[in-house]
Amino acid sequence: MIEFKPISYEDVTVGEEFMSDDFLIKPEDVETFAFAVDDHDPWYFEDSPYGGTIAHPVLLGNQALMMRHSKYIIPAGLHAKMHFEFVEPIRTGMRVRTRGKVIDKHEKRGRHYMVTEFATCDEATGAVLVRGQFTQMLFPKSGVHEHAKNR
Amino acid sequence: MPKTASALGAVEVGKELPSLKKTISQRQIDCYSGVRPKSIHTDVEWARQKGFPAPLAQALMATAYVSQMMVRWLGTGFIQGGKISASFIKPVIVGETLTARGVITRQEEVAGRPYVTVECWCENQDGVKTLVGSASGFADQLRA
Repeated sequence: MIEFKPISYEDVTVGEEFMSDDFLIKPEDVETFAFAVDDHDPWYFEDSPYGGTIAHPVLLGNQALMMRHSKYIIPAGLHAKMHFEFVEPIRTGMRVRTRGKVIDKHEKRGRHYMVTEFATCDEATGAVLVRGQFTQMLFPKSGVHEHAKNR
Repeated sequence: MPKTASALGAVEVGKELPSLKKTISQRQIDCYSGVRPKSIHTDVEWARQKGFPAPLAQALMATAYVSQMMVRWLGTGFIQGGKISASFIKPVIVGETLTARGVITRQEEVAGRPYVTVECWCENQDGVKTLVGSASGFADQLRA
Protein backbone atom coordinates (compact mmCIF):
# COMPACT_ATOMS: atom_id res chain seq x y z
CA MET A 1 0.00 0.00 0.00
CA ILE A 2 1.41 3.36 -0.99
CA GLU A 3 0.97 6.27 1.39
CA PHE A 4 0.78 9.26 -0.93
CA LYS A 5 1.99 12.55 0.50
CA PRO A 6 2.42 16.01 -1.00
CA ILE A 7 5.78 16.30 -2.69
CA SER A 8 8.35 18.53 -1.08
CA TYR A 9 11.96 19.33 -1.78
CA GLU A 10 12.88 17.97 1.64
CA ASP A 11 11.19 14.61 1.07
CA VAL A 12 12.66 13.85 -2.36
CA THR A 13 15.99 12.02 -2.03
CA VAL A 14 18.79 11.51 -4.54
CA GLY A 15 18.80 7.83 -5.49
CA GLU A 16 15.06 7.50 -4.96
CA GLU A 17 13.54 5.22 -7.58
CA PHE A 18 10.27 5.50 -9.46
CA MET A 19 8.37 3.14 -11.71
CA SER A 20 5.38 3.84 -13.93
CA ASP A 21 2.45 1.54 -14.41
CA ASP A 22 2.70 -0.63 -17.50
CA PHE A 23 0.94 0.74 -20.54
CA LEU A 24 -0.36 -0.95 -23.65
CA ILE A 25 0.11 1.32 -26.68
CA LYS A 26 -3.17 1.30 -28.53
CA PRO A 27 -4.02 2.79 -31.93
CA GLU A 28 -6.28 5.30 -30.17
CA ASP A 29 -3.32 6.52 -28.10
CA VAL A 30 -1.34 7.24 -31.26
CA GLU A 31 -4.34 8.98 -32.80
CA THR A 32 -4.98 11.09 -29.70
CA PHE A 33 -1.33 12.12 -29.54
CA ALA A 34 -1.35 13.00 -33.25
CA PHE A 35 -4.31 15.30 -32.69
CA ALA A 36 -2.73 16.85 -29.61
CA VAL A 37 0.46 17.84 -31.41
CA ASP A 38 -1.00 18.09 -34.92
CA ASP A 39 1.36 15.54 -36.42
CA HIS A 40 -0.33 13.02 -38.71
CA ASP A 41 2.78 11.55 -40.33
CA PRO A 42 1.89 8.51 -42.50
CA TRP A 43 4.51 6.48 -40.64
CA TYR A 44 2.15 6.58 -37.64
CA PHE A 45 -1.01 5.65 -39.54
CA GLU A 46 -0.19 3.85 -42.77
CA ASP A 47 3.23 2.27 -43.05
CA SER A 48 6.83 2.96 -42.09
CA PRO A 49 10.26 1.67 -43.15
CA TYR A 50 10.04 -0.70 -40.17
CA GLY A 51 7.14 -2.62 -41.73
CA GLY A 52 3.87 -1.43 -40.26
CA THR A 53 3.16 1.69 -38.29
CA ILE A 54 5.26 3.16 -35.52
CA ALA A 55 4.37 5.73 -32.86
CA HIS A 56 5.65 9.27 -32.29
CA PRO A 57 9.09 9.08 -30.66
CA VAL A 58 7.97 11.35 -27.80
CA LEU A 59 4.66 9.54 -27.21
CA LEU A 60 5.82 8.17 -23.87
CA GLY A 61 7.37 11.33 -22.48
CA ASN A 62 4.49 11.78 -20.09
CA GLN A 63 4.85 8.26 -18.77
CA ALA A 64 8.33 9.29 -17.61
CA LEU A 65 7.30 12.69 -16.28
CA MET A 66 4.38 11.25 -14.32
CA MET A 67 6.41 8.60 -12.50
CA ARG A 68 6.63 10.69 -9.34
CA HIS A 69 2.83 10.69 -9.22
CA SER A 70 3.07 7.01 -8.24
CA LYS A 71 4.44 8.09 -4.84
CA TYR A 72 3.54 11.72 -4.30
CA ILE A 73 0.66 14.14 -4.56
CA ILE A 74 1.83 16.82 -7.00
CA PRO A 75 -0.13 20.05 -6.49
CA ALA A 76 1.67 21.78 -9.39
CA GLY A 77 5.07 21.87 -10.97
CA LEU A 78 6.92 23.21 -13.94
CA HIS A 79 9.08 21.27 -16.33
CA ALA A 80 12.45 22.96 -16.79
CA LYS A 81 14.53 20.65 -19.00
CA MET A 82 14.15 17.47 -21.03
CA HIS A 83 16.69 15.21 -22.66
CA PHE A 84 15.53 12.36 -24.91
CA GLU A 85 17.56 9.64 -26.60
CA PHE A 86 15.52 7.63 -29.07
CA VAL A 87 16.89 4.11 -29.26
CA GLU A 88 14.30 1.93 -30.97
CA PRO A 89 10.97 2.64 -32.67
CA ILE A 90 7.89 2.56 -30.45
CA ARG A 91 5.17 0.40 -31.90
CA THR A 92 1.48 -0.02 -31.38
CA GLY A 93 0.78 -3.19 -29.42
CA MET A 94 3.85 -2.91 -27.22
CA ARG A 95 3.36 -2.99 -23.47
CA VAL A 96 5.82 -0.50 -22.04
CA ARG A 97 6.99 0.73 -18.67
CA THR A 98 9.31 3.50 -17.52
CA ARG A 99 11.72 3.23 -14.62
CA GLY A 100 13.67 6.13 -13.23
CA LYS A 101 15.83 7.45 -10.45
CA VAL A 102 16.40 10.87 -8.93
CA ILE A 103 20.02 11.76 -9.74
CA ASP A 104 20.15 15.29 -8.36
CA LYS A 105 18.18 17.91 -6.49
CA HIS A 106 19.26 21.49 -6.13
CA GLU A 107 18.23 25.03 -5.41
CA LYS A 108 18.95 27.75 -7.95
CA ARG A 109 17.96 31.39 -7.58
CA GLY A 110 15.43 30.53 -4.91
CA ARG A 111 13.79 27.74 -6.89
CA HIS A 112 13.91 24.04 -6.15
CA TYR A 113 14.59 21.40 -8.78
CA MET A 114 14.76 17.62 -9.02
CA VAL A 115 16.56 15.77 -11.84
CA THR A 116 15.41 12.29 -12.82
CA GLU A 117 16.96 9.86 -15.29
CA PHE A 118 14.71 7.35 -16.98
CA ALA A 119 14.47 4.46 -19.41
CA THR A 120 11.30 3.33 -21.12
CA CYS A 121 11.36 -0.33 -22.10
CA ASP A 122 9.32 -2.88 -23.98
CA GLU A 123 8.04 -5.15 -21.22
CA ALA A 124 8.11 -8.23 -23.47
CA THR A 125 11.75 -8.01 -24.51
CA GLY A 126 13.29 -5.59 -22.04
CA ALA A 127 14.60 -3.53 -24.95
CA VAL A 128 15.18 0.13 -24.20
CA LEU A 129 13.06 2.29 -26.48
CA VAL A 130 13.75 5.75 -25.10
CA ARG A 131 16.00 7.01 -22.33
CA GLY A 132 16.98 10.38 -21.01
CA GLN A 133 16.61 12.71 -18.09
CA PHE A 134 14.44 15.62 -17.06
CA THR A 135 14.48 18.47 -14.59
CA GLN A 136 11.29 19.44 -12.79
CA MET A 137 10.72 22.46 -10.61
CA LEU A 138 8.84 22.10 -7.38
CA PHE A 139 6.40 24.81 -6.34
CA PRO A 140 6.98 26.28 -2.88
CA LYS A 141 4.51 25.50 -0.14
CA SER A 142 3.03 28.98 -0.55
CA GLY A 143 1.61 27.68 -3.83
CA VAL A 144 2.48 30.69 -5.99
CA HIS A 145 5.76 30.90 -7.79
CA GLU A 146 7.67 34.11 -8.43
CA HIS A 147 7.91 33.16 -12.12
CA ALA A 148 4.13 33.23 -12.38
CA LYS A 149 3.83 36.50 -10.46
CA ASN A 150 6.23 38.19 -12.83
CA ARG A 151 4.37 37.41 -16.04
CA MET B 1 12.59 6.25 -50.94
CA PRO B 2 15.25 7.50 -48.50
CA LYS B 3 18.02 9.58 -49.99
CA THR B 4 21.60 9.91 -48.84
CA ALA B 5 22.84 13.23 -47.53
CA SER B 6 25.40 13.52 -50.30
CA ALA B 7 22.77 12.84 -52.96
CA LEU B 8 20.70 15.73 -51.70
CA GLY B 9 23.46 17.99 -50.48
CA ALA B 10 20.96 18.75 -47.75
CA VAL B 11 23.30 18.69 -44.78
CA GLU B 12 25.01 22.03 -44.70
CA VAL B 13 26.05 23.85 -41.55
CA GLY B 14 24.07 27.06 -41.28
CA LYS B 15 21.12 25.76 -43.27
CA GLU B 16 17.69 26.30 -41.67
CA LEU B 17 15.21 23.44 -41.57
CA PRO B 18 11.62 23.98 -42.73
CA SER B 19 9.80 25.43 -39.72
CA LEU B 20 6.53 24.21 -38.21
CA LYS B 21 3.78 26.48 -36.88
CA LYS B 22 1.30 25.33 -34.24
CA THR B 23 -1.57 27.20 -32.63
CA ILE B 24 -2.38 25.34 -29.44
CA SER B 25 -6.01 24.81 -28.47
CA GLN B 26 -7.36 23.81 -25.08
CA ARG B 27 -8.68 20.60 -26.60
CA GLN B 28 -5.19 19.68 -27.77
CA ILE B 29 -3.79 20.38 -24.31
CA ASP B 30 -6.60 18.27 -22.82
CA CYS B 31 -5.70 15.38 -25.12
CA TYR B 32 -1.99 15.71 -24.40
CA SER B 33 -2.13 16.08 -20.65
CA GLY B 34 -5.39 14.39 -19.72
CA VAL B 35 -8.16 16.43 -18.13
CA ARG B 36 -7.79 16.67 -14.36
CA PRO B 37 -8.95 19.03 -11.67
CA LYS B 38 -6.15 20.96 -9.99
CA SER B 39 -4.05 20.95 -13.16
CA ILE B 40 -2.41 24.10 -14.50
CA HIS B 41 -2.93 22.61 -17.96
CA THR B 42 -6.62 21.77 -17.89
CA ASP B 43 -8.23 23.55 -14.92
CA VAL B 44 -8.78 27.25 -15.63
CA GLU B 45 -9.40 28.24 -12.02
CA TRP B 46 -6.43 26.29 -10.74
CA ALA B 47 -4.15 27.90 -13.35
CA ARG B 48 -5.34 31.33 -12.21
CA GLN B 49 -4.76 30.42 -8.57
CA LYS B 50 -1.20 29.57 -9.53
CA GLY B 51 -0.74 33.00 -11.06
CA PHE B 52 -1.28 32.30 -14.75
CA PRO B 53 -3.88 34.12 -16.88
CA ALA B 54 -5.10 30.86 -18.47
CA PRO B 55 -4.09 27.20 -18.66
CA LEU B 56 -0.58 26.43 -19.85
CA ALA B 57 0.34 24.09 -22.67
CA GLN B 58 2.46 21.30 -21.31
CA ALA B 59 6.08 22.19 -22.01
CA LEU B 60 6.75 18.73 -23.40
CA MET B 61 4.38 19.45 -26.30
CA ALA B 62 7.05 21.63 -27.84
CA THR B 63 9.51 18.73 -27.91
CA ALA B 64 6.97 16.92 -30.08
CA TYR B 65 7.17 19.79 -32.57
CA VAL B 66 10.96 19.54 -32.62
CA SER B 67 10.65 15.78 -33.02
CA GLN B 68 8.26 16.25 -35.95
CA MET B 69 10.71 18.62 -37.63
CA MET B 70 13.53 16.10 -37.22
CA VAL B 71 11.55 13.00 -38.26
CA ARG B 72 10.42 14.77 -41.41
CA TRP B 73 14.05 15.43 -42.28
CA LEU B 74 16.14 12.55 -40.92
CA GLY B 75 13.50 9.81 -40.85
CA THR B 76 14.84 6.57 -39.40
CA GLY B 77 18.08 8.35 -38.53
CA PHE B 78 16.15 10.20 -35.85
CA ILE B 79 13.82 7.37 -34.80
CA GLN B 80 16.89 5.24 -33.99
CA GLY B 81 19.72 7.36 -32.66
CA GLY B 82 18.08 10.77 -32.47
CA LYS B 83 18.33 13.05 -29.43
CA ILE B 84 16.62 16.16 -28.14
CA SER B 85 17.93 18.35 -25.33
CA ALA B 86 15.55 21.16 -24.47
CA SER B 87 15.21 23.88 -21.88
CA PHE B 88 11.78 25.37 -21.36
CA ILE B 89 12.38 29.05 -20.76
CA LYS B 90 8.93 30.59 -20.96
CA PRO B 91 5.46 29.20 -20.25
CA VAL B 92 3.11 28.83 -23.23
CA ILE B 93 -0.50 29.87 -22.68
CA VAL B 94 -3.44 28.22 -24.47
CA GLY B 95 -4.18 29.93 -27.77
CA GLU B 96 -0.60 30.97 -28.40
CA THR B 97 1.09 30.10 -31.71
CA LEU B 98 4.49 28.45 -31.56
CA THR B 99 6.92 28.13 -34.44
CA ALA B 100 9.53 25.38 -34.21
CA ARG B 101 12.77 26.23 -35.95
CA GLY B 102 16.17 24.64 -36.42
CA VAL B 103 19.56 25.51 -37.90
CA ILE B 104 22.24 22.92 -38.64
CA THR B 105 25.25 23.62 -36.45
CA ARG B 106 27.46 20.55 -36.77
CA GLN B 107 28.17 17.61 -39.03
CA GLU B 108 30.37 14.76 -37.85
CA GLU B 109 30.82 11.03 -38.14
CA VAL B 110 29.48 8.75 -35.41
CA ALA B 111 29.96 5.00 -35.65
CA GLY B 112 30.95 5.45 -39.27
CA ARG B 113 27.76 7.28 -40.14
CA PRO B 114 27.06 10.97 -40.81
CA TYR B 115 25.53 12.60 -37.74
CA VAL B 116 24.10 16.11 -37.60
CA THR B 117 23.26 18.47 -34.78
CA VAL B 118 20.70 21.22 -35.05
CA GLU B 119 20.24 24.21 -32.77
CA CYS B 120 16.49 24.27 -32.27
CA TRP B 121 14.02 26.55 -30.63
CA CYS B 122 10.34 27.37 -30.44
CA GLU B 123 9.15 30.94 -30.46
CA ASN B 124 5.72 32.37 -29.80
CA GLN B 125 3.69 34.74 -31.97
CA ASP B 126 5.69 37.67 -30.57
CA GLY B 127 9.01 36.09 -31.53
CA VAL B 128 9.83 35.28 -27.90
CA LYS B 129 11.62 31.97 -27.43
CA THR B 130 9.86 29.45 -25.22
CA LEU B 131 12.13 26.42 -25.83
CA VAL B 132 15.83 26.40 -26.66
CA GLY B 133 18.10 23.45 -27.18
CA SER B 134 19.50 21.03 -29.69
CA ALA B 135 18.38 18.00 -31.67
CA SER B 136 20.51 15.50 -33.53
CA GLY B 137 20.47 12.28 -35.48
CA PHE B 138 21.97 10.22 -38.27
CA ALA B 139 21.83 11.79 -41.71
CA ASP B 140 22.36 8.82 -44.01
CA GLN B 141 18.72 8.07 -44.75
CA LEU B 142 17.26 11.53 -45.35
CA ARG B 143 13.58 11.63 -45.91
CA ALA B 144 13.28 15.08 -47.38
